[in-house]
Amino acid sequence: MTSFEKHLKKDAAWQKERSALSWAEKVRLAEALRESIAQIRRNRPGANRDARTAPKR
Amino acid sequence: MKELALLLNEMCAAGVITNYALFGAVAQMRYTEPVATVDADILVAVPSSERLDLLAPIYDFCSAKGYRPEGEAIRVGAWPAQFVPVFDRLTTEAVECAETADFEGAPLRVVRADHLAVIALSVGRAKDRLRVLALLESGSVSRAEVADLAQRHGLAEAWKGFEARFLDD
Repeated sequence: MTSFEKHLKKDAAWQKERSALSWAEKVRLAEALRESIAQIRRNRPGANRDARTAPKR
Repeated sequence: MKELALLLNEMCAAGVITNYALFGAVAQMRYTEPVATVDADILVAVPSSERLDLLAPIYDFCSAKGYRPEGEAIRVGAWPAQFVPVFDRLTTEAVECAETADFEGAPLRVVRADHLAVIALSVGRAKDRLRVLALLESGSVSRAEVADLAQRHGLAEAWKGFEARFLDD
């Protein structure tokens, strides 16, 4: 197994561990992730600050 | 999210909606690992399905409580909440059969894993396929349960196609 494959496997295992968190903790993580993504998009060069985010389900 | 739970229960008590259930990514997280999502999707059953502006009473109720529209959603605390009136037998059943979970002390109705999977199957985008796979992998729903529910809602062929493409060797 290459080091990259090992890294992917470790990452996948970490992701699966997150399933054991409480629903409330997962929602808080999702909130933090959403804010991080929004921040990255705001700071992206040439970002359209007036663009609406399309709703997702 | 707790603020949204309290609001939804208030809406039910006030008769603005007759029932509700969280679905989409936030509901999925109850069963799987956390996922990135922009908003909280809520299926709602409304008292009268004959008016054209089904969501107007919901918007009015929220506005009276200080919750403002944000695009196609209503901002409730940290979450944009997108209200979706039930639109077929599957979503109607999903709301009726939803489980009442405890979210930090507040009751919050959430669509069951099997209904989440079949709703995702019926929509069919790439992210919906990922949802089906994540729910199966989490063990919260089995292939047999999805097959049974898909069959009951006219999605047997869609499920067979999904199995052939993503699950069968």
